[in-house]
Amino acid sequence: MLKDWKLKEIVLMSLFGVVFGIVYLVFIHFGNIWAGIIGPIAYEWMFGIWFIVSIISMYIIRKPGAAVLPETLAALIEVLLGNAVGPRLILSGLVQGLGAEAAFAATRYRHFNLAILMLAGAGSAVFSFIYGYFISGYAALDPSFVAFMFTLRVLSGMVIAGMGGKYIADGLLATGSLRGYAISRSGKGDAGA
Amino acid sequence: MKHLLNDMNPSFKFVIVTLSMIVMAFFFNPWTPLIFCCGIVLLQILFSQTNWKLWLVCMLPFAFGAFGYLWTTIVFGRASSGTIIWSSGFFDITDQQLNLALSLSFRVLAFSVLSLMFAFTTAPVKFVMSLMQQMKLSPKLAYSVLVGYHFLPLIKDEFVQIKQVHEMRNVAVKNSRWLRLTSIYGMLIPTLASSVRKAESAAFAMEARGFTGEPRTSYFRPIRIKPRDYWLSLLFSALLAASCIIGVLLEK
Repeated sequence: MLKDWKLKEIVLMSLFGVVFGIVYLVFIHFGNIWAGIIGPIAYEWMFGIWFIVSIISMYIIRKPGAAVLPETLAALIEVLLGNAVGPRLILSGLVQGLGAEAAFAATRYRHFNLAILMLAGAGSAVFSFIYGYFISGYAALDPSFVAFMFTLRVLSGMVIAGMGGKYIADGLLATGSLRGYAISRSGKGDAGA
Repeated sequence: MKHLLNDMNPSFKFVIVTLSMIVMAFFFNPWTPLIFCCGIVLLQILFSQTNWKLWLVCMLPFAFGAFGYLWTTIVFGRASSGTIIWSSGFFDITDQQLNLALSLSFRVLAFSVLSLMFAFTTAPVKFVMSLMQQMKLSPKLAYSVLVGYHFLPLIKDEFVQIKQVHEMRNVAVKNSRWLRLTSIYGMLIPTLASSVRKAESAAFAMEARGFTGEPRTSYFRPIRIKPRDYWLSLLFSALLAASCIIGVLLEK
């Protein structure tokens, strides 16, 4: 998978992992305090934040693996920083990244418009929910409450990760620092769209 | 003895911790996570040197989260049979429901204790080196992660600098919390832009020094597997098995 990656793309990916690893950690603690008051539903509406690095880096690098790898790396960085969510973050990062990757793979890495990015956000949400259903024992909750959580998470994935990710990447493109990456070569930023 | 957990091979520790978490997810009784939780803390007391004050501070937000789980599962739990032990105007709590709620919140605590054990006894750089040497992580990825990790303090400094610049130029004078949240965007873009530049120059420097990313056969700092890694893994597995069996027996 890494054969046709340039080293600078891989280093970029891990630096994004660092920046978003910190952002993710901040929001985990923010979420935990909320979760004490309103329960696990506290995470659902902002879950999209944790998918954002997949979307941003795939939108910029546009190579197979550019969604699943940075999400996993960001999780690895979070573990390196040391926190109480711990090694299982790597597993959940992998699962979330695979969700986004699946959406891009389904469109054969050709189109990177807003709809596809939002689809990828939803993909992350669906994958992570299936994983969370198992690991956090949502089976113990009322099915209608679980359905509500699921809807919130998918919407959050689409809006925060999909739209937000594109917004941030476009802002970054405007600074001119992304010259030399696939996003700049595609003209207006939406390859083939 | 006091350094046993700190010296354990990080990849072994990682696999054990992850496996334990997956196994725990199959158990819905309150005893299994509780016994496991206590066992891990005991092991950490015996075999490692830990700053327990810091440990408590790290546990605090997760204790909050566990409490949230407790009452959510009680209020929004799947309707179950069993005898009602307490009832208010809106909902009745059966003993089964309470059991389930306790098990889910103890599970949150067990996961946190396990993760903190890992975080407090593992050196980050050694962990990545071990992932590369024992788990066959691609050197390209491993060294890139280390580069990113070493840029961390720089990125932090830069973030502070950008904030100060914004303040100096009166950009970020926002009073409401919501507006302050939107100003994150203004901070994030410059941080990301400069990390793009850092990535480029770091990658260039790595290539200039002959880094190809090919898998290696020898390492400057080898991380080895020793007999104690097997013994400790066995100990953790025994604790996991014991807490599963005792938990199931106690529930009956």
